[in-house]
Amino acid sequence: MKRMMHWGLSLFFVLMSTNAFAVTNLNPEGKFKVIPAILMISLLILFIMVGVFSKAQNTEDYWAAGRGVGQIGGGMAIASNWMSAASYLGMAGLIYLKGYFAISYVLGWTGGYVLLLVLMAGQVRRYGKYTAPDFVGDRYYSTTARLMSALIVITISFVYAVGQYKGIGMMFNWIFGIDYKTSVVVGTGVVLTYVLISGMLGATKNMQVQYVVIVITFFLPLFFIASKLGYFSAVPQIGYGAAVYDIGHGGNGIVAAASDPSYYLPFAKYTMYHWFALCMTLMLGTAGLPHVIGRFYVVPRVSDARWQVVWGLFCIALVYWTAPAYAAFAKFSNLLGTTGTTITPDAIVVNAAELAGLPEWFAGFLAAGGVSAAFSTVGGLLMAGSSAFAHDIYFRVMYPNASEDNKMKVARIGTVILGVSIIIVALNPPALIAQITAVAFALGANTFFPLFLLGLWWSRTTKEAAIAGMIVGLAVTFGSMLIPKTSILAFYIPFTSSAVVGVPAVLITMIVVSYMTPEPSQEIKELLYRVHNDE
Amino acid sequence: MEKDININFFKPVGDFMKKDVAIKKKIIVIWFLAVYGFLFLLKLVANPDETVQLTLNTGEVITQVSGMSFLTETQFLGFPFHYWYSSQFLIALFIGLCYWYCKFIDKLESEYEK
Repeated sequence: MKRMMHWGLSLFFVLMSTNAFAVTNLNPEGKFKVIPAILMISLLILFIMVGVFSKAQNTEDYWAAGRGVGQIGGGMAIASNWMSAASYLGMAGLIYLKGYFAISYVLGWTGGYVLLLVLMAGQVRRYGKYTAPDFVGDRYYSTTARLMSALIVITISFVYAVGQYKGIGMMFNWIFGIDYKTSVVVGTGVVLTYVLISGMLGATKNMQVQYVVIVITFFLPLFFIASKLGYFSAVPQIGYGAAVYDIGHGGNGIVAAASDPSYYLPFAKYTMYHWFALCMTLMLGTAGLPHVIGRFYVVPRVSDARWQVVWGLFCIALVYWTAPAYAAFAKFSNLLGTTGTTITPDAIVVNAAELAGLPEWFAGFLAAGGVSAAFSTVGGLLMAGSSAFAHDIYFRVMYPNASEDNKMKVARIGTVILGVSIIIVALNPPALIAQITAVAFALGANTFFPLFLLGLWWSRTTKEAAIAGMIVGLAVTFGSMLIPKTSILAFYIPFTSSAVVGVPAVLITMIVVSYMTPEPSQEIKELLYRVHNDE
Repeated sequence: MEKDININFFKPVGDFMKKDVAIKKKIIVIWFLAVYGFLFLLKLVANPDETVQLTLNTGEVITQVSGMSFLTETQFLGFPFHYWYSSQFLIALFIGLCYWYCKFIDKLESEYEK
């Protein structure tokens, strides 16, 4: 153990010192921003206090939060668990860079909920399991399938969290003036602390508090930005529309020659196929993310599980209606020729406030909100990852007789291992926040979406099909990252959108393999019949 | 075997599941057409003279329509129409579809006393 730690630490410092993909320093003078820092620190204290006061009592609490969360409360928890640094910081950055093409992120991350509700939520709740691997292991009557799906859950949590850590690091860098790498370590240390002292019960309360923080910090500065730039500021979510028009046609101080029509024209930067592929991947991924599906077990009644989706989607929409406004205002200020701010796509929300010439504490508000968004998601991801480890691998497969205490201990060790190993990758992040997150979605779409879809809706699906499906899904997801960037294959299967090819391939594989292998037992079919008819 | 308990989305068994699946199909069709049908429509009505050059990842340069049409040039609430439709209306539609389904299925469940 000691030697492993020693080895881990040396690897850690080696990675700290490499600068291959250095992140832009948002705060080159190393200035400590007083008001933003006070905001950030008081939020962190608030989160930890909420976590401490709603501490998990036993494993039942730790995994499923006692199954007693109301509809609106649950919706808010879904929303803050869902909205990460990718929604708060990354999405606006991509819209700023890619214009209408990036609206596919906005739609992908909301439209998937329709599928989730219609095809999964009620049935998953009625099936009555704790975690996604529990469902897979049980429905496909196979320890191998359970083990594989637990490993996939851990991988998804890992990839997803890398993007969040990057967001936390960038915002800490901006606020405190410490360099990016130190920021990642400090910031994520705080997340780990609070996930460890509170369980999911603490996390659920925390998520509701975080949702309120996210919405307030995201909305407030926008009124001032809109009014400063001369747009309808009572509802800036509508006011920014005119800014989009002006960006493309000139007006309100932008001369026609300086306008940029590629910002709003649908196919000016990418093809229709790529818009479709990305949007579809994010939608299917939304319906296949284990930590999202996992939230339905928290609900006491099937009907509540469904209404939570509606409330959750509404809470998400409030922020998603707003994100494109930041992108548009930043783009507008940029075309006006405002100088003095270095624009970093992943910090465009904070940049927008700076570009509009607002006082520093507005931007501080946004930075603190961005960290809250990342925090709530990382909390949920570490929970999902560590419960896959402690519940699905350690308890179900390795030591079925493990005591409650042991399971808790393993869950906590799992959280630490996962949390610390993510730091190592986040120190040299491979892409933009929203892109890293999209890969996690592609993986969810290529594995869990077909497993749940066929598992719930076609009783003929066999265990061999599930295993073959997971193998194909993993191959497509990781294969798409390995194919050379300039090949024709990479054109049709971009690494952020691999599910457009992956999901059909996995579905076909699963159907063919199912017909080639012996039918599932009568009990499985009867169970499914009850899930759908509940007699 | 007395009754058919094979579950298949396209061959629902039992009254409850039949009604449930029927509305699911409707919602999925509306959802798909609203998002991707509109995308296709944008391409279909695009002005063929307004083109842009794109460099693909393969290095190949292609010319395609930029998508300019009455859908992008009409202003609605200040927005270019398609921009408003995609970034605001569709999200509201998603919420509406979810609300519709929840109302429907709650009623159906109470009818079948579940």
